[in-house]
Amino acid sequence: MQKGFTDFFLHPLAKDEITAVEEVNIKIEKGELFGILGPNGAGKTTLIKMLCTLISPTEGTAYVNGYDIAKDSGKVRESIGFITADERSFYWRLTGRQNLKFFASLHNFYSYDAEKRVDELLSLIGLENRADDRFLSYSAGMKQRMAIARGLLNDPAVVFMDEPTKALDPGAAQNLREFIRERIVKEQRKTVFLSTHHLGEAEQLCDRIVIIDQGKIKVIGTIGELKSDLHKPNPTLGDVFVHHTGKEFKEEMAEHPQSGRRRMVHGMHGGRMRGMRF
Amino acid sequence: MLATSYKFEFFLRLFFIFFSILTFYFVAKLVGGVGMAHLEPYGGDYFSFVLIGIAFSGYLMTALRSFSESIRGEQMMGTLEAMLVTPTSASAIITLSSLWNFIFTSFRVLMYLLIGILLGVDMSNANIIGAMAILILTIICFGSIGIISASFIMTLKKGDPINMFFMGTSELFGGVLFPITVLPEWLQTISHILPITYSLSGMRHALLQGYSLHALAPEIIALLVFSVVLVPSSLLAFRYAVNKAKVDGSLVQY
Repeated sequence: MQKGFTDFFLHPLAKDEITAVEEVNIKIEKGELFGILGPNGAGKTTLIKMLCTLISPTEGTAYVNGYDIAKDSGKVRESIGFITADERSFYWRLTGRQNLKFFASLHNFYSYDAEKRVDELLSLIGLENRADDRFLSYSAGMKQRMAIARGLLNDPAVVFMDEPTKALDPGAAQNLREFIRERIVKEQRKTVFLSTHHLGEAEQLCDRIVIIDQGKIKVIGTIGELKSDLHKPNPTLGDVFVHHTGKEFKEEMAEHPQSGRRRMVHGMHGGRMRGMRF
Repeated sequence: MLATSYKFEFFLRLFFIFFSILTFYFVAKLVGGVGMAHLEPYGGDYFSFVLIGIAFSGYLMTALRSFSESIRGEQMMGTLEAMLVTPTSASAIITLSSLWNFIFTSFRVLMYLLIGILLGVDMSNANIIGAMAILILTIICFGSIGIISASFIMTLKKGDPINMFFMGTSELFGGVLFPITVLPEWLQTISHILPITYSLSGMRHALLQGYSLHALAPEIIALLVFSVVLVPSSLLAFRYAVNKAKVDGSLVQY
């Protein structure tokens, strides 16, 4: 319960407000795979949702593919793909193909063009043989690949990925990382903005990363730069993270080949965005 | 596509239309000529009167429920965010999400009328063009009320006052089950501020008595006035609600 019983009657309209993202200033180059790292509740998802026009900043602005997220939100949405780990974002009773065709129609595809594009994407994600099965029969990995196909429907210039490997087993997660690196960035030349709290994933995939905590940027740069700035022998990305956030990690069983899967011990509660500046 | 995947529910809903109509058919037999003076302006037959009332009031119920329920349904399923990140506007998404409900309601109204005709309702003099004009204005008015209701759902999540007001008052004051002249005069004032009163009155005059467009003018003008007020109000309310939800970060909360 957020409020006590007395508060409910004495202050019925009072709201709990939290500044979720503040004074964030980032520039991402075309074709870059940019990672955003932070503990749970750091503001990663809020920042991505702002850039996808799902949340409006109370201050400041941002440009995506040259368009202002506040003034040209329609143009921004034409330029982006949003890939989330939330498998509930599909219609489970419909087939994979029906789902993609439905979302293609929201991207203003005509029926014939939608069918063609859906076939291309089903082939890209390797699900052509299961396309006419209901979504509910898919494995977690297949559902995530469907999310990627949906995010690429409009051939976006910029792709936002919010913890895309979160629900996957280690093997499926590794396959997906390779797919993102090889097919989406190298082959299709997309700019990717990826949020993760797996340090190994960031290390394996990202050209540059930003570490944010409590809604503020702690540090930004290439992983090599960030490590060398620590001036200690054999630093890990975990050391970089601890150095800049002051938070400890609990090492889990290795999911990732290099550095293992790490998860934050101390999280923070996410909340409503107030007072963001880009 | 999603609605048709629940085939059993679809046929069940159609099947129970028969029961609803039969109930009123027998109630009409019981009522007989009682209250004839009140029914006279609509042809004098209670079954014909109530058939049009329950059939076309379905549009109001659909409008009040479908817009807000489609928002809430997509929020709870988790699909709303994926829809709102596409170039299609939020208002278009909500309108299109409700389209199936309006199509099904139209189909249901058609069933009501066909069964009514089979049970003896006389629509041989119906003015179809007049009825269509009333129907279009009815859908515009009720749709606008539904969008205002959805705006409250977008902001408050639950406890929408528009839905409660129209659900609570329309059946009693809108002339669905009995002519509004049965009500005391001071209560009829409430009837005159509800669009459903003019929709049902116009529809009965057009379908049962074949009134010309000229004779239907009072109802058409009243519905036009409601439309002129309600359409821009609903669009403004919805835009405000979406912007507020985006600033609050509560677009997909329920």
